[in-house]
Amino acid sequence: MFRLQGSRTLAVDLAGDAVKAKNGSMVAYDGRMTFKKMTGGGDGLRGMVTRRLTGEQMSVMEVTGQGTCYFADRASEINLVSLHGDKLYVEASNLLCTDAGLRTGTTFTGLRGGASGNGLFTTTVEGTGQVAITSDGAAVALRVSAQYPLFVDPGAYIAHQGSLQQHFQSGVNFRTLIGEGSGESFQIRFEGEGVVYVQPSERNTIGGDV
Amino acid sequence: MPFREINAKMVEATVVPGQKMYSQRGAMLAYRGEVSFTPNIQGGQGGVMSMIGRRVAGESTPLMTVEGSGTVMFGHGGHHIQVINLSGDTLYVEADRLLAFDGTLQQGTMFMGSQGGVMGMVRGQVTGQGLFTTTLKGHGAVAVMAHGGVIELPIAPGRDVHVDPQAYVAHHGDVRNKLSTALGWRDMVGRGSGEAFQLELSGNGAVYVQASEEKL
Repeated sequence: MFRLQGSRTLAVDLAGDAVKAKNGSMVAYDGRMTFKKMTGGGDGLRGMVTRRLTGEQMSVMEVTGQGTCYFADRASEINLVSLHGDKLYVEASNLLCTDAGLRTGTTFTGLRGGASGNGLFTTTVEGTGQVAITSDGAAVALRVSAQYPLFVDPGAYIAHQGSLQQHFQSGVNFRTLIGEGSGESFQIRFEGEGVVYVQPSERNTIGGDV
Repeated sequence: MPFREINAKMVEATVVPGQKMYSQRGAMLAYRGEVSFTPNIQGGQGGVMSMIGRRVAGESTPLMTVEGSGTVMFGHGGHHIQVINLSGDTLYVEADRLLAFDGTLQQGTMFMGSQGGVMGMVRGQVTGQGLFTTTLKGHGAVAVMAHGGVIELPIAPGRDVHVDPQAYVAHHGDVRNKLSTALGWRDMVGRGSGEAFQLELSGNGAVYVQASEEKL
C-alpha cells in the first residue's frame, strides 16, 4: 500500500510482501526490513542483457518485511500512478518504486529519446498495482484524447500511459539556423487516448539549445 | 518566542526586548523594527570554555545574537525549514543544520562516543557527522534546515525506527541510537542494495528524516 507523506516522501506499508525500489532510496523504516539488490533491474537474465545493450540501466533493490518503509530520492516530488492491467512508459531515472507484482521491461522509443536526452530506450511497467515516479517539481497529468493531441517539450516529459502514439516533430526554420531559435525547436506530439505526465522543469536536451 | 512559518523555506520570528535568540550567521533575510545582529565569536552560549569545546569538536558553526524588538525573517540556501518545539526535552542536531533557536534553550555539545562506545565513534565516521553533535535543551522553539522537507517519525518502546544516516536530520527525547550494519557478501562484491548502514533508534521520542540523501 503506497501513500505519500508530504509530497517528497513515499511511505509503503508492508506485511510480509515485497516492493521493488530504486537502489539506496530508503530513508527510514520501522519494523523489520531486508534489502536485496536485484541484478540487472530485476527483469531476469534476458532483461539484464537488454538493459546493458540499450543503456537503460536501472539499479533496483527488493524490499521485503513487515512495517513501514519510507523512500525518497534527492528531494524530488513523488507521483503515484495506479495501473490496472495497462502499461506505463517511464524513464528509469524517474522510477522510484513499484509493486513487486508489476513487470518491468525496456522498449524502443524512436527519435524522441535521442532528443530528450534520455537515450533511445525507455522502461515499461506493466500489470496491476501501484507505481511511484519522481519528478523535478510537482508533475501534472495531462489527458490526451482523440480530438486533442498534446505537444510536450522533450525535456519536461517524464512518463505516459494508455494507448498513445508519439511523433517527434521539429520547428526548425531559418531563424534557428542563424542562432535566433526560440529554444522550442523540438516537441513530442502525443495522439490517441491516455495520460502524459509532465514536470515543471526541463532537462538539458539537445533540442533545448536550439 | 515562537517561529511562524511563512512558507516551507522561510520562518518569521518575533523578537522582544530582553529576550535573545541565536541564528546562523547570514541567515537573516529581512526584518522589521529595531533589531541588532551581533556576531557571536563564542559560537553560542556557555562562555569561553564551551567555545573551546566547540572548536575542538568541530561543531562551531558561526552564530549571531539577535536582539531588539521587531520581527525577523530567516532562511538559508533554499533549504526546507522545520520548526521543532521543545518542552523540557533535549534535541540532538548537527550544528550546520541549525537555522535559529530561542536564547532560552541551553546549548551544549555531546560526544557521540559516549553512546555506544566504539560503535558510536564508528557511527560518527560512517554518517559523516563527526564525533560530536549539538544539543539544545529546555523550553522553546528551534528552526532546523533540511534538504527537501522533513517527516517526523515517532519512536516508542518496541517500535524501533531505522534511518538512512544520510537522511537523518535530528532527534529528540530519550532515544538511544546505534549504527546497525546489514553488510553481506553482496556488498563485498559491489552488489549492495545501498542500504548497508542504518541508524537504529530506540526509546521514546521522535526522529526527523529528510526526503533526500544529500547533506546540506
